Amino acid sequence: MKYVIISPRLGTPGDEFDPGDDNVDHLLAGGFIRQSTDKAPKPSKVKTKPKE
Amino acid sequence: MATSTLLSNPKVQIGAAIGSIVDLTDQTTAATLTRTVEALEDTAFGTGSRTYTGGLENNELTVTMYMSYAATETYASLSALVGTKCTVKVNPAYGSGDSGTNPGFILTDTYLESLPVVNASLGELTTVDLTFQGGVYSVDTTA
Repeated sequence: MKYVIISPRLGTPGDEFDPGDDNVDHLLAGGFIRQSTDKAPKPSKVKTKPKE
Repeated sequence: MATSTLLSNPKVQIGAAIGSIVDLTDQTTAATLTRTVEALEDTAFGTGSRTYTGGLENNELTVTMYMSYAATETYASLSALVGTKCTVKVNPAYGSGDSGTNPGFILTDTYLESLPVVNASLGELTTVDLTFQGGVYSVDTTA
């Protein structure tokens, strides 16, 4: 699960927040971070030319 | 004459762990972090003075903060920490990172026993006094 910093009290807003093994429920409830909705970029669909 | 003076303007951060400490400097009006190593008497017969040796560390941070119930403010930052071991970090000066001249004093696994959720007096801003007890003391001097 990825998180993004919202509050400058925790860090730079917009930066990814890595909680490690720590519980982040109170940070989510307090409005300090949010779950990231960014999806991993899809791999390119460039096809290689088949060998003749 | 003092060769180095410092305006009292520390940076105060509190959280569940060092990776999630929250900067509450702008709500804090007083902070005292005391490192204590308990004195155990080891005086023996044949000596003329009491002597002591170091025992367990028993560190403590006391802070006074304005209370705010808004998002990401005092209550939101502290309410989940009551009754748990948490981490606090205090630097003598705000605005510069950890260094030899602005060390970050850290208590890890320090215990917050209580949080006054309401402390109201007529005509005054609400403040709360917190005490973080125990914990492992360390000093961070690297940015």
